[in-house]
Amino acid sequence: VLIKESSNVRTIILNRTKQLNALSLEMISRLLEVFHAYEEDPNVKLIIMKGEGRAFCAGGDVAAVVNDINKGSWKLGANFFSKEFTLNYLMATYTKPQVSLLKGIVMGGGAGVSIHGRFRVVTDNTVFAMPETALGLFPDVGASYYLSRLPGFFGEYVGLTGARLDGAEMLACGLATHFVPLEKLSLLEDALCKANSGDPKIINSIINEFSNTNPKLKEKSQYFRLKTIDRCFSRRTVEQIISALVSYKKEKEADKNMDDWISWTIQSLKKASPTSLKISLRSIREGRLQGVGQCLIREYRMVCSVMQGEYSKDFFEGCRALLLDKDKNPKWNPSKLEFVSKDMVDRYFAALDDKDWEDLKLPARSNLPVYAISKL
Amino acid sequence: MGRVVDVTLIILLPIFPPYPATPITQLPTIRLLHTVKLNLHNRLLMDSSPPSSSPSSSTSMDRVNFRTQVLSRHLHHHPQTTDLLLPAPCLNYSPPELSNPPPNFDTKSLRKLLDGTSVEEIDYIFNLMIQSTLFCPRERGGKVFIAPDFNQSMEQQREMTVKRIEYLRDRGVFEGWFDKKGPEGDLWRFALAESVSVYDHSLGIKLGVHFFLWGGAIRFMGTKRHHDKWYKPTETYEVKGCFAMTELGHGSNVRGIETITRYDASTGEFIINTPCESAQKYWIGGAGNHATHTVVFSQLEINGVNEGVHAFIAQIRDENGNICPNVRIADCGHKIGLNGVDNGRIWFDNLRIPRENLLNSVADVSPDGQYLTEIKDPDQRFAAFLAPLTSGRVTIAASSMNTTKIGLAIAIRYSLSRRAFSIKPNEPEVLLLDYPSHQRRLLPLLAKTYALSFASNYLKMIYVNRTPQTIKTVHVVSSALKAVLTWHCMRTLQECREACGGQGIKTENHVGHLKSEYDVQLTFEGDNNVLMQQISKALLAEFLAAKKRNKPIRGLGLEHLNKPAPIIPTQLTSSTLRTTQFQTDIFCLRERDLLQRFVAEVSQLQAQGESKEHIFTVTYQTAEDLGRAFSDRLILQTYLDVEATVPAGSLKSVLGLMRSMYTTIVMEEDASFLRYGYLSTNNAAVVRKEVLNLCSELRPHALSLVSSLGIPDAFLAPIAFNWVEANAWSSI
Repeated sequence: VLIKESSNVRTIILNRTKQLNALSLEMISRLLEVFHAYEEDPNVKLIIMKGEGRAFCAGGDVAAVVNDINKGSWKLGANFFSKEFTLNYLMATYTKPQVSLLKGIVMGGGAGVSIHGRFRVVTDNTVFAMPETALGLFPDVGASYYLSRLPGFFGEYVGLTGARLDGAEMLACGLATHFVPLEKLSLLEDALCKANSGDPKIINSIINEFSNTNPKLKEKSQYFRLKTIDRCFSRRTVEQIISALVSYKKEKEADKNMDDWISWTIQSLKKASPTSLKISLRSIREGRLQGVGQCLIREYRMVCSVMQGEYSKDFFEGCRALLLDKDKNPKWNPSKLEFVSKDMVDRYFAALDDKDWEDLKLPARSNLPVYAISKL
Repeated sequence: MGRVVDVTLIILLPIFPPYPATPITQLPTIRLLHTVKLNLHNRLLMDSSPPSSSPSSSTSMDRVNFRTQVLSRHLHHHPQTTDLLLPAPCLNYSPPELSNPPPNFDTKSLRKLLDGTSVEEIDYIFNLMIQSTLFCPRERGGKVFIAPDFNQSMEQQREMTVKRIEYLRDRGVFEGWFDKKGPEGDLWRFALAESVSVYDHSLGIKLGVHFFLWGGAIRFMGTKRHHDKWYKPTETYEVKGCFAMTELGHGSNVRGIETITRYDASTGEFIINTPCESAQKYWIGGAGNHATHTVVFSQLEINGVNEGVHAFIAQIRDENGNICPNVRIADCGHKIGLNGVDNGRIWFDNLRIPRENLLNSVADVSPDGQYLTEIKDPDQRFAAFLAPLTSGRVTIAASSMNTTKIGLAIAIRYSLSRRAFSIKPNEPEVLLLDYPSHQRRLLPLLAKTYALSFASNYLKMIYVNRTPQTIKTVHVVSSALKAVLTWHCMRTLQECREACGGQGIKTENHVGHLKSEYDVQLTFEGDNNVLMQQISKALLAEFLAAKKRNKPIRGLGLEHLNKPAPIIPTQLTSSTLRTTQFQTDIFCLRERDLLQRFVAEVSQLQAQGESKEHIFTVTYQTAEDLGRAFSDRLILQTYLDVEATVPAGSLKSVLGLMRSMYTTIVMEEDASFLRYGYLSTNNAAVVRKEVLNLCSELRPHALSLVSSLGIPDAFLAPIAFNWVEANAWSSI
């Protein structure tokens, strides 16, 4: 993590380019430290987050986490996630504005260190995804909070299929607040440093100056499928979602203009871990009725259950197949949706049966924005 | 509104002396009071001038000077004033979560006690509603709330109700409505009906009429031929059903309805007729605009003999929505609430329907016109016929609790962020819920809501597990709880409305508006007062039957009558009041004594040769006291049963606290404890004091208890959250 100081502005640069800036435990610890310090520091008014190189951030360094767990205990992993989620919470309830410049890849944990901030600036080459279900995990880092608040049931779609969104799509659905063309991104950064202001209104108007307020969605954008997505992904269970998609596909088979979007969607659900799909859907549905803090506490329970591996070891299998061996052929267990019972799903949402384990303790905040509170 | 302002000024007068007598020290409130003080000063000046038409020139000059000063202050910002005012905004919203301790018990576990196994089903419906623009999401104070637009016309509201139902139908929400069997099926149907009512009572009722009344009549009063024909089109809304029971002249007294049906053996048809104006079907939900079919309740006359009330299926509109021949329909008009439901009136002009349209679960008519039935006694036949429709009371009881939860969640969250008056000068104003009087208004209602919600769950469970042997219990318990819970709902909403002050008047803040939306619960499916008297009649019958058989009394929780009367300590203490032993004892004593009084009263009148009907009309006072005593004892019992399932710990202790609050408040508020001497005046004073103690002990849990109610934020109101921002100029 590099930090650039310019009077009252701090630019935090994720700098681990070989791993596409994937967040290691050290980076997360450093970010936590820095964010805590800046909150107290009256000399800091504005925080800019960006990534060095091609990517903003490709996510948490799960390969390292799996490695640690394999060598030691799953509790090493718990430590990683507890710090990462605490950082997410800090950002979501931060008193000072954070502008994230999302160039290139923004995935998983990368979304977690940006989407919770006040301003999310995307650009021509931004690629966003929450690909966890393909990895045997579930959209974490507070995703059950922000995905559930996207229009209609787009969040379920993005979270379950791991669909990739570009900058224009992110702006359209609300994941991003601004779209700034790639060539103007550094000018924007300079302007923000020069303005040296922490007033959200001023920052907003500066970003607006560089923004393209209406970037064109590509012709085949999945955002145009919102109606179909709403119809299918609003269903009660993963099985019902898939059967709604399948019957939609049948309905449209005669249609010559049908592209392969629907097939891709069905395929990606069939390839993902059945356990992941079920816990992810429930997580998003619960998250819709919760505040960001409660979402993170619940996700922490879930992620600890996943790492403990008592009910399913899909996370380790997914990492093996996609990150380590790279055979891209994970063998999920349970292998089918119908084998994942409601009881099994329930366990991911319950406190862990381990005497040393406890729920995530989020730091007390002086600032509690209304959206961070929810009572359920 | 002028009068309201005057009152405010008068209240403010003794506390805030008029400008400029006070130095500007109260920074936190200065901006708020600025204009008030100026106006006040103006008023005082005017008041000091003589009322005659010739004011002295000096006074008049003063006024001119003063106005000039005021105007110039408005036009040219007085630097000193603005400096003083700007850095100290008057009122900052501070969320209750910041100032209240975090829950010391697991709020999820408590919610599970309320919503049981249905939590996920309920949350799913909430998800569907929150994510659709049809449910009118509005951003206020940084949060999104959903609520119908009550500013729409009656017709528009009705159309929106239909669109919302179609949206839910298209998501497959109603799939399997008639197929899901057993207790799980019933619980699933209840969860569905309740969760939509959390959004809007009209939506719940419109759905309830179609599925529970029309669909329930087909299911329970009909037989296989009706199931085969009507289930599928009902589930898909191809057929839109309604339920024509009530008439202009007869409501609670169903057996007195005047619609008459005869059989024509030559054509194999029934002929339904509305013989007079008082026989017009009235308040028929769905009939006004949309229903295509109805279940008609009517006297059945066969060969000149009246066989009593029976139910028939009749089509009233064709597939294009045109009213059928021999049917006349008119609207019930605009109502004080529930305008999203199209209540209508129906007249039948010798409408002919096929013989198969008689719902023949307990009685049938053969093609040649013979009346056939297994149950010879018309009273029993009627009871067996209507019994399954108790589901209506079950859902009413349950949704009245949800509405109560909404009201309390809003009022208590507001009272944890709204302040009024300082106790000492220069100190911040006091939070509403830190006033003992405000605690006394809201916290007992909160505890009672928990108690009544557990009772509502108990009712649900005995309904879904009903057997022919338990029908009587289900009937008595549903009558009792429907009445008690809906009364509690209305009372709570009124208290919440007042507790929110002027904000309670705004429709967007729900608490006031919900009163008119839910008032009808006290009347439909049985007038509450009639129901209370029915309980006492049933208890009397049980008591007399046991006596006649010379056997101990059993059922309805009345077994305690077989034991000796409990003894109440002569001097009550705070700790005695909190024991389950004492609480059970005094509730049982009251029920037992009132039942004995009622028995004595009735038998005395009987000895005087009075008729049964007359006796029940004159003994209503005791009957109603007894009805309440039965309900309260039942509610306490179900509470204790729930408590027993919770392991020792912080949740159990907060449940214990609320139970004590519930029992104590019942003793304090119901006059029968003093009237009949279950409490001495001394003990009544101890009870009253204990209410205060319990209030202050519950105060730290108030927020957590409200959070456990399970109503998502989106269904609450702007005043439950950042009401300062929601009302800011920038949000206009």
